[in-house]
Amino acid sequence: MSEKTIIAVENLVKHYGEVRAVDGVSFSVKEGETFGLLGPNGAGKTTLMEILCGLRRFDRWKVMIHGFDLVKDSLKVRASIGFCPQETLLYDLLSVRENLAFSAALYSLSSKKFKERVEFSSKVLGVGEFLKRRVQQLSGGMKRRANLAASIIHDPPIVILDEPTVGFDPTIKREFWELIKNLKGYGKTVLLSTHDMYEADEICDRVAIMEKGKIAALDEPHVLKRTIGGEPSLHIKVKETQITNALKILEKYKCAVVDDEIQVLAKDPWEIMTEVSDRLVSQGVYTDKIEIVEPTLEDVFIKLSGRRLTEDGGEK
Amino acid sequence: MNSTIGIAVKDTKYFFREKGTLFWTIAFPILIMLLFTAIFGREIPFNANIGIVNEDDQTSLTEGMISVINNMGLFTIKNFTTRAEALKELNETKVRAVLIIPQNFSQDLFLHHANVSLIVDGTSPDVAQLVGNAIKTSVVAYCKGVLNYTDPIVVDEELSFVGQRVGYKENIVPGMLCYPLLFSSMVVSTGAIVYERERGTLKKIRASPIRPINVLIGKTYAALFQTAIAILIMAVLAFTLLAPALNWNVQLLAIVMFLGAMNGIALGLIISCIGRAPQEASNAAVTIAVVLQFFIGMYFPIEYLPAYLQEIGKVIPMTYAAQALRDIMVRNATLNDVAFPIVTLALSATILYGVGVLLYRRWVEK
Repeated sequence: MSEKTIIAVENLVKHYGEVRAVDGVSFSVKEGETFGLLGPNGAGKTTLMEILCGLRRFDRWKVMIHGFDLVKDSLKVRASIGFCPQETLLYDLLSVRENLAFSAALYSLSSKKFKERVEFSSKVLGVGEFLKRRVQQLSGGMKRRANLAASIIHDPPIVILDEPTVGFDPTIKREFWELIKNLKGYGKTVLLSTHDMYEADEICDRVAIMEKGKIAALDEPHVLKRTIGGEPSLHIKVKETQITNALKILEKYKCAVVDDEIQVLAKDPWEIMTEVSDRLVSQGVYTDKIEIVEPTLEDVFIKLSGRRLTEDGGEK
Repeated sequence: MNSTIGIAVKDTKYFFREKGTLFWTIAFPILIMLLFTAIFGREIPFNANIGIVNEDDQTSLTEGMISVINNMGLFTIKNFTTRAEALKELNETKVRAVLIIPQNFSQDLFLHHANVSLIVDGTSPDVAQLVGNAIKTSVVAYCKGVLNYTDPIVVDEELSFVGQRVGYKENIVPGMLCYPLLFSSMVVSTGAIVYERERGTLKKIRASPIRPINVLIGKTYAALFQTAIAILIMAVLAFTLLAPALNWNVQLLAIVMFLGAMNGIALGLIISCIGRAPQEASNAAVTIAVVLQFFIGMYFPIEYLPAYLQEIGKVIPMTYAAQALRDIMVRNATLNDVAFPIVTLALSATILYGVGVLLYRRWVEK
């Protein structure tokens, strides 16, 4: 990852009537970085990404992408970006290869370059096995891979992915994370939006947490977790009938019961882990599980918004 | 509620909530009914331009005759001072017939050997027959009524028709060839943008570095190809099944059809840019095409329209395509003869594409 800034957004504002969908957002992305926009549905992530791709107008701006002004050099900006939205933008009645050829034509790719890029997509994204099949015959995972291949067929330096794994089962989701990491290996700058905390943690170099059109926090995931998410804690699972007894044994520690688990809060949970375990066992309380849990990006989000993110991107 | 009723209720609600679909569904019968009422709801469903050259010295008598023709309500009369002027306009189909009242006509009436010359545009059989009969009848009736003139008025047969006198199949084939220009071109291009939007694939196109005009031109190529197939099928069928005695000037016909199709496609693209749902756009295209076919002289001469509707027909580009096709095929028109409709079609296509680009920016890229 270089120090060169490839996306610079300054005070971006977008209204939908009275609603400020994007409210004075500023951030920059470095070349080769994987940058995540994390937040619930309606936080303004998709609007922000569509603005960057030239799909939406905006009210106030200073956006530079790959050295080009988003408004003045709109066509050059678009040529620098590969946009992969959450829905599959492929033609069902065309084969994958024909879809790739159409996408290549939109970017005026030469036939030689197209062949190279198809080979790249086959190797890196694994579309080679179903290149000749019509899109309507593909599984959901294959469609997503073909969709990504079509989005980056022109070899753009910047790849923008809007909720790339939404609706995926965990196995395919992990596969897709590997694909995104592969892109980073090829020097691509990746900007992705997600409401999946683990996805952001797993693949992003830096994360901006969006809330009601604003960026509430922005940093590397481990820094966010350390500075906002709180301290790690010791989680102990015992039989339900023994919870009261266990709390009595551990009364010298600061304890709380959350979701049928005893959480022991300490500055250094690693230091007290053995002692706590020994105390419980010596008093006849056997643990089903004892582990140190570090704060997650979800904890960061809860701290910032006071709400928890649900799996479908909602809040509770 | 069972599933069948549930589906029906959902679709009905959806229909009422898709404002555009609702609008065109209501607009279609209203427009058609208004149009039919305007065309056929009159006692005399006809209005043609005719020219009169009055060379007679005793104008009071002949003016009375002209007045009778005028009062029939079938014609808009244009007076000419010379035969050459009148015949020029007849050849240009600006008038459908020319009545020449010769010098000494009034005097000849008293001498019982009067004659007039009636020259009718023979390239439109309906019009030729109607105009010819109506003028002959009125002239004879006037002379009988005013002067108790019982001898026949001789209508000069030598000059009775200009152009190739055509039969009904020759008359209908140019109109049939307008069908793909109007319907096929509009219908295929109407789906061009709105279906991309419906499928979501418009996002892909818009996110790429392609200009609106290039999108529209790309869509036009595809629509032209599809329209060309329809034209080819129509022309081959017309040629083989009807075998009309027409002039198949392929090069000139191709130019007119290309420009006509471009107008239809541009109109379809405009509807496609504005349409929010495929059904709405499709309803709009069908309504517009069905209504336009009455205005452009495709199936019947525009003289059957009331005068004010004929004026509307004159500002519709496809009228010029229909006119040019008929002129080439029936009247053996040359490039020079159809230069005006060709230029008009080219200009209107350019304007419509300009509007298309503006609407693409306004409605599609908003």
